[in-house]
Amino acid sequence: MKTWLKIVCIALLAYTVISSLWHPLAPGGLTVDIEKIQPGPNTFTFTGYNTHFVDDKASLQVFVASGSTYFCAKVDEVIDNNHVKVTAILPDTLPSKDISFYSNTNTDGTVYIQKPIDSRSFAFVDGFVSSVACSPKVTNDEHQNFGYPFQVIIFESIRNLMWHVPMWFTMFALMLISFIQSIKILNQAGREAKADVAMDFSKIKLFDTKAASSAGTGLVFCILGLITGSIWARFTWGDWWTNDPQLNGAMVVFLMYVAYFILRNSVNDEEKKARLAAIFNIFAFILLVVLLMVMPRFAEGLHPGKSGNPAFSSYDLDSSLRMVFYPACAGFILLGIWLYNLNFRIKRLEQENENND
Amino acid sequence: MSAFRALWKKELLLEFRQKHALAGIAMYVLATVFVCYLSLERIESEQVWGGLMWITGLFTAFNAMQKTFQQEGGGTQLYLYSLTSPRKIMLAKSLYNALLVAVLNVVSLFFFLLFFGDEMLGKTDFYQLFSGLILGSSGLGITLTFVSGLSYKSGAGVGLVAILGFPVIIPLLITIVRFTTGAMIGLSWLENGLNLLVLLILNGSALLLSLLLFPYLWRE
Repeated sequence: MKTWLKIVCIALLAYTVISSLWHPLAPGGLTVDIEKIQPGPNTFTFTGYNTHFVDDKASLQVFVASGSTYFCAKVDEVIDNNHVKVTAILPDTLPSKDISFYSNTNTDGTVYIQKPIDSRSFAFVDGFVSSVACSPKVTNDEHQNFGYPFQVIIFESIRNLMWHVPMWFTMFALMLISFIQSIKILNQAGREAKADVAMDFSKIKLFDTKAASSAGTGLVFCILGLITGSIWARFTWGDWWTNDPQLNGAMVVFLMYVAYFILRNSVNDEEKKARLAAIFNIFAFILLVVLLMVMPRFAEGLHPGKSGNPAFSSYDLDSSLRMVFYPACAGFILLGIWLYNLNFRIKRLEQENENND
Repeated sequence: MSAFRALWKKELLLEFRQKHALAGIAMYVLATVFVCYLSLERIESEQVWGGLMWITGLFTAFNAMQKTFQQEGGGTQLYLYSLTSPRKIMLAKSLYNALLVAVLNVVSLFFFLLFFGDEMLGKTDFYQLFSGLILGSSGLGITLTFVSGLSYKSGAGVGLVAILGFPVIIPLLITIVRFTTGAMIGLSWLENGLNLLVLLILNGSALLLSLLLFPYLWRE
């Protein structure tokens, strides 16, 4: 690989590591310590995440929303940057059962919490206009100030996007190289069989070494993808493994490429090894495409990318994520190709050694 | 076409000349279903029925396919190769094995009905169940014929069929279990159509790939 490509690769990965770990998460609302709201005063503590309640005390507003009607709360005590104790006075009648809690500061923008809450003590009248309602400042684009998007359930683990997804892209790129080399092997084998000349296996062996080293490197990235994905699944879905077509497909892909290496190792004849492994590799790669890119779209599952959606739309991939995600993909693919090159050269040197002995 | 017919006849003859092998597989089906019966006694959901039926189908197919290349020695294959094209041989073998697996699965369905009764089949759409049976069996037959050819050529023995075959067969197995379960809980053709489509695609691509790649496999 060219030296400048190596430098680009290192720079991209350094950028990925630094920004994926150090860039903060945007402010968001975590929880309120109230289970039941009732007419009259309701006192509760609003807990935010990465918010600046103390630093921006002057502009702090907390309010309860019923549908699109807001009821401002009086700030009793700002405990710290993430906790504020407030009292909201609510009327007997509310316009909507859809209750949520908001806070707003100039620094953080508007953050909100939605949680199931007991509101049985109220009467509900559609379109009810309350005299105690207020009109606080609401900014809809709460993520735009700074930081990665704050998403309930995902929280800080959104950083994993820059690690988990590029692993699979890199694996795909490496398996594609392996697939192309396998086609070359069969092509060459076919040509040699037709031309009635003395067979020269050196080309086939070269392609085979390439195919095996790129599939081997791809398998490493596959394992890394499974590990990062499993950790992410544990954090967001509660289990190390869930019955999801994308996850099961990934496991099958892993098994297939392990089988590829078992097949390679069980054949002694060099030319036959190359040919059989290439045949299985072509089979495996086409199944990889079916398993990871076609089948998950037809089935229900937790993993993003279901039901015809491209994998990112549900993540709301906003500009702050994109700025790191694309360089991360490029960096990891370059790293994969670099490792594949090293792997290939080591194997070639070993072969040369054997020939010299 | 005549070559194709002759190849079919050869497969059939080989099968019936080794009646003990055929009887062995039938016995294997019976024993598997009986073990299922002993360990479960009754099946209370369609999904368990579909799953068990296709796990039985999978292992039966593995057993039946293992000998497909082994039983005819290298000499026979060389002779056949000199007579006709490898693609024709592969096509004949794949389709024959698809039929064989289908017959074995019908037998296994019969044994399931014998042991577990028909209480789970009240809502079943039988046209769907049988088309699933055919498509699932042909998928198993085609894919495993190819894989067993691959492992035969590698000379590593029968164990490799399972190692290579299992990962490759999983997508088909998931889809066919889903389709069968759908047929049993009485989904309409339209509701179950997506699974049917995936089954057709998997069948078609398996056949296409094995026909495309077999000529390279065949050569010594």
